[in-house]
Amino acid sequence: MLGPTALWDLFVTGIFRGGMYALMAVGLSLVFGVMNIPHFAHGEFYMLGAYTAYFAFAVFHFPAFMAILSAASMGLLAGVLVEKLVFYPLRRRHPEEWVLNTFLVTVGLSFVMQNAALAVWGGQYRGITQYWQGAIQLGSGMHISLDRAISFIVAIFCIAVLWWFLDFTRTGKAIRAVAQDETGALLVGIDLDQIHTITFGLSSLMAAIAGASLLSLNPAYPSVGLAPLYKSWYVVVLVGLGNMAGAIPGGFLVGLLETFSYYAFGSGWQDVISLSILILILLLKPAGLFGNRGISLSKA
Amino acid sequence: MSTGGSHRWVVLSPLSLFLLAVLSVLPLWVQDEYLLQLLISSLLLGSQAMAFDFTAGFINVINFGFSAFVGAGAYTSALLVLHWGISPWLGPLGGAVASAALGFFSGVLTLRLQGIYAAVMTWFVGLTLLSLTASLSGLTRGYRGLNVPLFLETAARRPYFYIIFGVTFLTFVSLRWTGSSRVGLAFRAIGQNLESARASGVNPTKYRVINFTLSCAFAGLLGGFYAHFLGILTPDVMHSRQTVEVLALAYIGGRGSLWGGLVAAFIFVPLFEYLKPLMELRLVIYGVLLILVMIWCPGGLAAIYTQLKQQVRWPFMQR
Repeated sequence: MLGPTALWDLFVTGIFRGGMYALMAVGLSLVFGVMNIPHFAHGEFYMLGAYTAYFAFAVFHFPAFMAILSAASMGLLAGVLVEKLVFYPLRRRHPEEWVLNTFLVTVGLSFVMQNAALAVWGGQYRGITQYWQGAIQLGSGMHISLDRAISFIVAIFCIAVLWWFLDFTRTGKAIRAVAQDETGALLVGIDLDQIHTITFGLSSLMAAIAGASLLSLNPAYPSVGLAPLYKSWYVVVLVGLGNMAGAIPGGFLVGLLETFSYYAFGSGWQDVISLSILILILLLKPAGLFGNRGISLSKA
Repeated sequence: MSTGGSHRWVVLSPLSLFLLAVLSVLPLWVQDEYLLQLLISSLLLGSQAMAFDFTAGFINVINFGFSAFVGAGAYTSALLVLHWGISPWLGPLGGAVASAALGFFSGVLTLRLQGIYAAVMTWFVGLTLLSLTASLSGLTRGYRGLNVPLFLETAARRPYFYIIFGVTFLTFVSLRWTGSSRVGLAFRAIGQNLESARASGVNPTKYRVINFTLSCAFAGLLGGFYAHFLGILTPDVMHSRQTVEVLALAYIGGRGSLWGGLVAAFIFVPLFEYLKPLMELRLVIYGVLLILVMIWCPGGLAAIYTQLKQQVRWPFMQR
């Protein structure tokens, strides 16, 4: 039986795990909510961030925060590039059946990025032992490495900044307008192409930050993005596709769920358990826990 | 390639019959075991692409857990043969039944959902099957690999070619026939416009489940043959990487054409085999091709063929 301290430890582990899931899921939700793209290559931007941070930190000896920042800029750059090279021409040529087509395109994109990484960097793990030395002791006596704590803070910080951006800046408001009604946004003179590029860039940036700040826990390797991808999709389907506000509690919920089922059933079975729960929830609530799509923000 | 709206009994066009006939006599000349192996791989992947296309191209649902259903059939067949001692020739039928049952249940659970939800749910079902197979290592031996009895004692490739060719032919003809029947018409109606199909009295969920179950049955059948052809199984056969390869072939071939995936397999499987030193690049090329096809030529090879047929008037063709 679980004592209160063990329970507390599991709870903290779950919340810490959930922070990153929330960050990944918010990006995924943003891309679906604004661009209607079911983004299957989201994990590849996580991978790109992890590699960039590795090279910046371990090879070029950047300070830790600089390494994460360079990963962020790499993510932004790659995201903008991909949007201009892939989604922009697709939108011009075949706007019909957009959702399923873009799903397939992102599947192809994921294949390309993953295997290009394999061709260029090989299959070996490139990890670092830590960005920051030290650990934090919690009241219960459990130690949490400083890296994990800071990566959690980074995740929360990024989500908060995104929120501020979407709520208070002109561009952010335009992004929300496009998410609500594309035609309406076009009518009031919003440049759709620009909004799409910014949105995709932002989402890629957040995925890259996630990959970079978790580098000491998950080393960089070509298919490192698969698990975060699949976790963030899990969150997003659980709360409802495109529901950005829901992605945050959803991330924490999944982090907790996973930690507890890992504790109770061991690895391997935790996936089976979580997926069975998801299928059950979708049977009862097909639109996800928090219902309908569209970015629902505090003021929206 | 049967055109026209009416349902014909002869479901294969003269050209496809001719190509299949050429293919069937090819091993009489090809002595090289390596080349035969390539032909077999093309057949296996191509028939999987056809079974995949049966849902993607007809009812517009992407079965992103496709390989898991192939793998479920493979494991079922292998375990039936190993534990119950039934003949490897009957095993794949058991695999087909098992995958069809799995397909039926996941279809009932997920196909009420709209397009992308259904794709994501089939993906999750596939992931669950994969981790289940890996976790049940007492039964499946997990990643250590399961040794499966082969069909034949011989290691010669030619008999295997004919086995796999037979299965491919069966798959092609059955899917083609179903696709051009009244049921197939309902499938296409749902795929093109779900709401208007519903309005004209077609029950979308029912037909989607029928279609999905059929496709999974063929996935399981092909999986069974794959198992007793290859002789070893690991949970990796269920990985979404495999699904993506099948999916890429189906879309490059042309969605909704069925034969496109087979043709694409015969082009790309041998081609990539010769690019073996560039193993990683092989998959990059698959991905790039998939993206290019989606952007520039959504109909794939099948659409190119149709265009050519309209532009070029062959002297012996009466039109």
